[in-house]
Amino acid sequence: MTVAFDQTLDVKGAKCPMPLVKTRKAINGLPVGAVLQVVATDRGSIADFKGWVKAAKNVELLQQETVENNGTALYLHYVKRTA
Amino acid sequence: MALAETQTDVKTFTAAELYQRIVADTPTFIVDVRNEEDFGRWGVEGRNSLEVINVPYFDFIEDEDGSVAKVPADRNEVLVVCAKEGSSQFVAEILQSHGITARFLEGGINTWGNLYDVRPVESNAYGQIIQVARPARGDLSFVVVSQGQAAVIDPLRHIDHYLNVLNTHQAQLTHIFDTHAHADHISGGPALARKTGGRYFMHAYDAIHPLDMLPARIDYNHIVDGQKFQVGHYTIEVIWFPGHTLGQVNYLFTDPDGKSCLFTGDGIFLKSFGRPDLGGRGEAWAPIVYDSIYNRLPPRINKDTLILPAHFSVMNEDNGQGVFAETYEWVLAHNDALKYAQKQDFLDFVLSHLPKFPPEYVEIKRANAGLLIPDEEKASELELGKNICALSD
Repeated sequence: MTVAFDQTLDVKGAKCPMPLVKTRKAINGLPVGAVLQVVATDRGSIADFKGWVKAAKNVELLQQETVENNGTALYLHYVKRTA
Repeated sequence: MALAETQTDVKTFTAAELYQRIVADTPTFIVDVRNEEDFGRWGVEGRNSLEVINVPYFDFIEDEDGSVAKVPADRNEVLVVCAKEGSSQFVAEILQSHGITARFLEGGINTWGNLYDVRPVESNAYGQIIQVARPARGDLSFVVVSQGQAAVIDPLRHIDHYLNVLNTHQAQLTHIFDTHAHADHISGGPALARKTGGRYFMHAYDAIHPLDMLPARIDYNHIVDGQKFQVGHYTIEVIWFPGHTLGQVNYLFTDPDGKSCLFTGDGIFLKSFGRPDLGGRGEAWAPIVYDSIYNRLPPRINKDTLILPAHFSVMNEDNGQGVFAETYEWVLAHNDALKYAQKQDFLDFVLSHLPKFPPEYVEIKRANAGLLIPDEEKASELELGKNICALSD
């Protein structure tokens, strides 16, 4: 099921720690209640996003999914700014 | 805050340097910045003077000061470890910007997992015994060189390390001995045989996958109890030691002066022994282990026989210099599993101290039987973390 989102952040090709560094920056620029879709190619981002939201302030991880795009796996993370 | 994309003057350290520090017990402070889940699965282990804490790199993004404060102020230097390198560099830069000296692990934690350490065990007029260890996994293997000939015992998956040792000693590999079908790692034996022309030996019982009940599809030479070989000055005798697997053997090397060493595989370890349940029949095989430890082996060796096992569980089992070998007399005195007077007490102890059964061990046995050919990614995933072949404390 696809989650509705307000903005997309493309971090394809970016390696750790950049997907989360950029996600944090993008979230800070969003209004409360907005949802950010993050598109990553780093498989490690799945566990890292899960771990990050446990400690992170003002964010909620709504959903994660993996989709195939021309033979490359894309890891999608939907993050909501909660406060 | 400096981002990892920019140039940096933060220095790196290597897995080999880390292991030297662990062997020498040099005070070392590691911050592992992987997520909690990966950190919980496996990580750097050492001995007394090694401290490891887990502070995920994203904690530094969320709360830089609070995360930096988790590093005690009196540590001279912090070594930062992560999955692939980027995040450890990122954190090392943050620590440096707070006035803490920090370096990061070149290549990430897999370079630690794949580190091999080669060091001599013994050298005399008859030949040399060389230990080839993979410390992160607690895996041990050995090369014996004599008169230009060589035998390898329990070779691990990355065979280049053995080829290097053979090259250094200008020796021809003639015998490749597996003590048993390993469950925790993929054997380098068949690959080494194809590469060098050396003959690969194992017991036929271990050429049957114990859970699948299927025969192996690898080329091997069947050995039997009491069989003898000659490599240079050494006479080698096969001692059947069933229990961990039904086809496990020990290899007894004796030099012309009668001095002997025993490659025990997952028979007896220095502080434990190979668990009987990895074939799925712990209760049936535990009494077989008992007979091997208490009845089969003792008449075949003597108190001065050097015991060289295929695993260690903790670093402190070494001799203080990274070598995992002790005399049988020492092992009898220090290995609690060898001290049971009553068989039933031994069995009760064993069956109540079985660690979890890692599900990937079934797959690894398939790989070692040639029933499954894993690619590099799969192989390295199967071999993640430390072996769990011994009983738990």
